[in-house]
Amino acid sequence: MSSVPPARSRPLHFAAFVMNTTGHIIQGTWRRPTARQTDFNDLEHWVSLARTLERGKFDAIFFADVVGLYAPYRGDERKYFEAGLQVPSNDPSVLASAIAYTTEHLGIAYTASILQEHPFNFARRISTLDHATKGRIAWNVVTNYLPNASRNFGLEGLTAHDERYAWADEYVDVTYKLWEGSWEEDALLQDRVTGVHADFAKVHKINHEGPRYKVEGPHLVSPTPQRTPLLFQAGASEAGRTFAAKNAEAVFIQSPNQDAAARDTADIRARAARYGRRPGDLKFFQGLYVVPGSTEAEARRKAAELDEWIDYDGQLSHMSGGIQIDFGHEDLDTPVGDLKTEGVQSIVGWIKDLVPGRPATLRDVAHYTATNSRIVGTPEQIADGLARWQAAGVDGINLVNAEIPGSYEDFVDHVAPVLQRRGLMQSDYTPGTLRHKLFGHGDRLPDRHPAARYRGAFASPIPSAPQPV
Amino acid sequence: MTDKKRLILNLFEMNCVSHITHGLWRLPGNNRERFNDIEYWTELAQLLEHGGFDAVFLADVIGTYDVFRGSAETSIRQGLQIPNNDPSLVVPAMAAVTRHLGFGITFSTTYEPPFAWARRLSTLDHLTKGRVGWNIVTSYLPNAARNFGLDGEVDHDKRYEIADEYMDVLYKLWEGSWDDDAIIGDRTRNVFADPAKIRPIFHDGTYFKVEGPHLPSPSRQRTPVLFSATASGAGTKFAGKHTEVVFTGGPNPAFLQKTIANIRAAAVAAGRRADDVKFITQAGIIVGRTDADARAKRAEYEKLTDPEGYLAHAGLTFDPTAFPPETPLADVVGEDGNVGRRRIFDPAQTVGEFLAGFGDISRQALFATGTPEVVADAIEGWLDDVGIDGINLTQFHSYDTARDFVELVAPVLRQRGRLRTDYDPDESLRDRIFGTGDRLPTRHHAARYRGGAFLGADPRIPHS
Repeated sequence: MSSVPPARSRPLHFAAFVMNTTGHIIQGTWRRPTARQTDFNDLEHWVSLARTLERGKFDAIFFADVVGLYAPYRGDERKYFEAGLQVPSNDPSVLASAIAYTTEHLGIAYTASILQEHPFNFARRISTLDHATKGRIAWNVVTNYLPNASRNFGLEGLTAHDERYAWADEYVDVTYKLWEGSWEEDALLQDRVTGVHADFAKVHKINHEGPRYKVEGPHLVSPTPQRTPLLFQAGASEAGRTFAAKNAEAVFIQSPNQDAAARDTADIRARAARYGRRPGDLKFFQGLYVVPGSTEAEARRKAAELDEWIDYDGQLSHMSGGIQIDFGHEDLDTPVGDLKTEGVQSIVGWIKDLVPGRPATLRDVAHYTATNSRIVGTPEQIADGLARWQAAGVDGINLVNAEIPGSYEDFVDHVAPVLQRRGLMQSDYTPGTLRHKLFGHGDRLPDRHPAARYRGAFASPIPSAPQPV
Repeated sequence: MTDKKRLILNLFEMNCVSHITHGLWRLPGNNRERFNDIEYWTELAQLLEHGGFDAVFLADVIGTYDVFRGSAETSIRQGLQIPNNDPSLVVPAMAAVTRHLGFGITFSTTYEPPFAWARRLSTLDHLTKGRVGWNIVTSYLPNAARNFGLDGEVDHDKRYEIADEYMDVLYKLWEGSWDDDAIIGDRTRNVFADPAKIRPIFHDGTYFKVEGPHLPSPSRQRTPVLFSATASGAGTKFAGKHTEVVFTGGPNPAFLQKTIANIRAAAVAAGRRADDVKFITQAGIIVGRTDADARAKRAEYEKLTDPEGYLAHAGLTFDPTAFPPETPLADVVGEDGNVGRRRIFDPAQTVGEFLAGFGDISRQALFATGTPEVVADAIEGWLDDVGIDGINLTQFHSYDTARDFVELVAPVLRQRGRLRTDYDPDESLRDRIFGTGDRLPTRHHAARYRGGAFLGADPRIPHS
């Protein structure tokens, strides 16, 4: 093993990466006898998981989401239904208020696409939840990469990539105006003696007019603890990175290794600096999962047993359907070099170098997607592995599950105590909002964030947006 | 003895401070300012379930009342439905602390795409195990239209046209997209769901184009219990076709009876039975252990009532307080006779007469005050003589209004066989109201889509 990190470290942040569905990232494991992710329709399933996470001092629960099916695999969508691969799936936002009521500190992050709701109503829903959670809400801003999702919302197909980000720019701008600018801080009076509930002079229309949206306002919700929710984002493309650099406070990355993580985090931090933000204004969460054992051998046995449940065809379908290149007709044991599907070489060709001694196959690709971001070992070894990710510039982990609740119970009971002893995970919660818990600088966005220019702006002219320097 | 009609009992709520009784948030002990706190809602839900309420009915608007005096000043000053929060997102917390209470959630069909809303309601129906209802509205505030990119309100009848197509999209998603036995969960064969029993809807209409399939699996009720509130021509036709529980009102019982008869006729014309539709009405009840108690309470409420809130709420297009009371109303109202939202212009009135009704808390379709027996008598009259099936109880004070009803009125109604003694275990909201199971009856328009019938054709199949 490489060098052991210092005994007391800066804690990493931990989020549980989940989805309101059966098959999220690791396909096939819902069949394990102890797996309960098929109970996702039940409130108790989520409430109980949230309590487990809070017992383990997780920073947040992070709900992924999509609003359509993945693109056809082997010619149609059959595989997704059979695997329960993100279908059926339920709206994650409605779980938040129940989780809020049954927890005190856990952050609640959920994914919402700009496609699915008008920004006026979306801003209101987020504000409602920020009130209900007393400032523990985060929004994972996504565009949409699934053509079926576009067609669920009246479009003919996917919006062009860069145009999606232009759309996202305007969408967040509308929400920033509503969250930060519409109500002044002291607008709400609630004076029972005078009968004045709010000060009319301090509640403003936003009168937004842009290429896609026209929104009068005012925001219907009074200022919430965080106003703007904590902003997550997960785009890896050029436009996505720029969007993250301008807007995101937490960036979800899926870097294949620590060198790549170091490059990715440095790149986005440097871009953020060009928009007047500071490197520490962004926290990076790497997607990982862990298989702990009391000995290394036991952990390896558990991992091997887990591998037997993985649905490799399901793993490939997820990848294939996400990038809209259908390689479902290829045999899993075909050497990658022999694959004929248009475009597939550029997608999976890299695997050839990763399997020594024999030709790599599609099955290797599938195995890689299920296990690359996995740390197998004793809690001490897992702590060492996480410390290496931290050294690469990662601030937090978005912890993938192979099963719910088992993966998180294992982590909370066996890994978290070791991490906490070594200072790699918080041992207790900081009071306050999610933003304050993560950054320690109060409940609100810093003044250098683009949303901040709308504060107090609607009683006077609006300052222009910061330009890259 | 024939079976007595039992009362459907809902609490009328809204995720805001001043919903319909303006000025009263200032009453001592009133909890309305706590509406931002999730604990306000969980405590309320527990009280209502303890008292045997059928549902909490959550009103909503997505704009401000800014017509009166040309601005939102009165509304904002009084907390009149602003600030307000989304109603659907407090339901899960209430669901987590209850087992039986139903939830009626208001949502407008005018501004938001149907796909996400269908999914949210299915999610809620799953989470609550079938306790969700939807109050279908088309929105009436001009500011709401301007919040969603329009220059002004969509014309009333066109809103109902849009709503009618919106419903069709949702029925296709809820009733047609997934068969009941689509979820297999076969751990051995590695088949979670059967693709042959799940289908896109390929809706391609005048206002919406939606491919599908629906993302959630079938929830207990599939289509939530459908509420709507209207008495207009287009609204009556809409209710006849779609609505299961009509929330209706009016100036007097005769008006109510006419509305009920019209909508039942519209239901029959739509191939449904007259009694497939139930009617609930907003009702104000001030009850005391003695008549003096009730009178004292009413006096306290009247003292703090703020008539200006009612003027702003009514969206008056003119300011009656700016004219001497003896001025003929006809002199101050514009030539179009438009005095405000849902107000009937009576040219014989003076401004003073017109103004007198605002802020009179007894001026609701149904109002009763007095001892528990007196109130129970009134309710029995509403059920048997007016012909309604239930009430949305107006709150003067939160939580005293609900608590008074639970402690004082409910026992008398139970004694008289007018209120359920207990919840049936594990019944859905629809089954509780209609007693005919969890799903819509087959004669409802939505049922035609079951099994995938009447869905659109797959446009992806190439022409030969």
